[in-house]
Amino acid sequence: MSTNNASMKKHMGLKASRVVSNTVIYVILIAMSVIWLIPFVCIVLQSFRVENTWQVGYILPKQWGWDNYAALLKTDFKVWYLNTFIMALVVSVLQTMIVLCMSYTLSRFRFKLRQPLMKLMLVLGMFPGMLTMIILYRVLKDLGMTQANAVPGLILVYIASSGMGYYVSKGFFDTISKSLDEAARVDGATRLQILFKIILPLSKPIVIYTILTAFMGPWGDFVFARYISFGTSAGMNVAVGLNGWLSLDQIDQRYTMFCAGGVIVAIPVAVLFMCLQKYYVEGVTGGAVKG
Amino acid sequence: MASVKLTNVKKVYDKDVVAVHDFNLDIKDKEFIVFVGPSGCGKSTTLRMVAGLEDISGGTVEIDGEVVNDLQPKDRGIAMVFQNYALYPHMSVYDNIAFSLRLQKMPEDEIYEKVTRAAEILGITEYLMRKPRALSGGQRQRVAIGRAMVRESKVFLMDEPLSNLDAKLRNQMRAEIILLRQRLQTTFIYVTHDQTEAMTLGDRIVIMKDGYIMQVGTPTEVFEMPKNLFVAEFIGAPKMNIMGTELLKENGEYYVTPFGAKIKVDGIKGAMLKEKNIAAGKITLGVRPEHMVLAEEGAANAIPVTLEVNEMMGSELHLHVLTEDGTKLILRIPTIDLDATLRTEMTNGKKLWVTFAGKVMHFFDAENETNVLVDQD
Repeated sequence: MSTNNASMKKHMGLKASRVVSNTVIYVILIAMSVIWLIPFVCIVLQSFRVENTWQVGYILPKQWGWDNYAALLKTDFKVWYLNTFIMALVVSVLQTMIVLCMSYTLSRFRFKLRQPLMKLMLVLGMFPGMLTMIILYRVLKDLGMTQANAVPGLILVYIASSGMGYYVSKGFFDTISKSLDEAARVDGATRLQILFKIILPLSKPIVIYTILTAFMGPWGDFVFARYISFGTSAGMNVAVGLNGWLSLDQIDQRYTMFCAGGVIVAIPVAVLFMCLQKYYVEGVTGGAVKG
Repeated sequence: MASVKLTNVKKVYDKDVVAVHDFNLDIKDKEFIVFVGPSGCGKSTTLRMVAGLEDISGGTVEIDGEVVNDLQPKDRGIAMVFQNYALYPHMSVYDNIAFSLRLQKMPEDEIYEKVTRAAEILGITEYLMRKPRALSGGQRQRVAIGRAMVRESKVFLMDEPLSNLDAKLRNQMRAEIILLRQRLQTTFIYVTHDQTEAMTLGDRIVIMKDGYIMQVGTPTEVFEMPKNLFVAEFIGAPKMNIMGTELLKENGEYYVTPFGAKIKVDGIKGAMLKEKNIAAGKITLGVRPEHMVLAEEGAANAIPVTLEVNEMMGSELHLHVLTEDGTKLILRIPTIDLDATLRTEMTNGKKLWVTFAGKVMHFFDAENETNVLVDQD
């Protein structure tokens, strides 16, 4: 009887300590989420504030309206948005093709300098991309691809080294049995047909992951975009253009419009992620865990 | 339907690791040839060189008289079944089988005809619309065979196709492969590490070890006249009992003296020893477990042993026994001839006497392990 009581007490004690630890964990997680969400909520709220355009000391707008969004249309925002969209779209297509071909090659072909090439890319990837900025600017300027022509120039910059981002997709391809390739080769498929008809349909998560990351690069880029467009509005992307509104002389007239612009920039990416979230998670973990 | 000829075929990895040494083999049209050997013996590598999935480091592979060394797999007129089936997981069974035909740009109605015919032969018609993951191992293997069948190739290659199946299914599929072979009437090259599959399927068996061919022959030849100790031990289950002993020659008759017993070599083996005039001396003696029998206690030709393990296999007992010097021997004793008392008395530690007839012995050179009665070429 006493043993029963003792084990019951022990059981209750364990249960209580589990409740306490869960509560603490949830409180911490909720607090972190709130802290993380506040800036986003503020930006959305500010974008609907119409009583004044400068920064104020309160969060909830006194007057709500779409004025800030309407005002955006009268600025260069359309140009920046279009620039960004074109760049992101072209880069996501080209970069995905390059990355997937590169990954397939490194995963399936055995050629002489394969290992040294992979090591070289690993080492090169450790250098910050910013280091190449000055020379890239010189090259693009000589090609006439800066300032107003920054869009093709930036596309070149974004896709130039994209083959080096092969790691995740190569890891995924490595988990697909090579005997599938061999069976397809015996069946009469060319390497390209194997990639398109066998490997890619089996790698949906990684293809989507690659497209998303390729899209996100130009969509959120600031440093290169600012440098290559060099103050010319026609060559700017949204990040650079909107950043201009935060300068001391403009912030008071443009602050709420800046917030509206930020919301519009976030919408397509948020929608993309929500729709493809399932694949994205599978893609990120795909290299490690067999899909 | 085609002959396959391998001449001095060689596979070298990383410049110095030789996986296959000068492999020479003539495979006749419609022949079923089996490559068998332990893992790492080069059997799969050789098959893959025939398929075109591995580069050939030296020598030539001919299919139907044409050297195919530099041809792509699809141009060699081969079909292949893989160990892990290699079905395309995202395609239905129908699409899997139709894949190669679609690549040939065959009209869809013709494809339909071929796929349904193959499915009918293999009994997978009702699964045609399923994905491979919804099939059992045996069904998947049938799909893989179906995919190879519709290619109507000259040579059918199979790389350990049954090793992923459980024992019961393996027996069933083995019988089906024999039927399939009769129906297809094409040249087969089959790789396995299972000597039973090799013996039951092959017209001829190629036994390999460390990249070398140990023996090529019909199942009967390799079983009854193994060219060397490796083949003798590899073919047959449980493996052949090996004893180091003395070959004596007295009054023109041969005797062996394993573990103190003296057994006369008579029958065909005695005649062969005489014909070849083999010198007396040290010899390695081999006797298959099924050829060993229980003897009367104390008989002159009997070896005293102690029973270590008794495996009841149903129709026979596998007796693992130890001789007085600690050598392990195995006997296969049919239970049908065993009286009930003897059967129940077969407990561990029991003293037994075993012997064997002269005609079942195999004699191997004590030095180089070759069969002294088989001409080595």
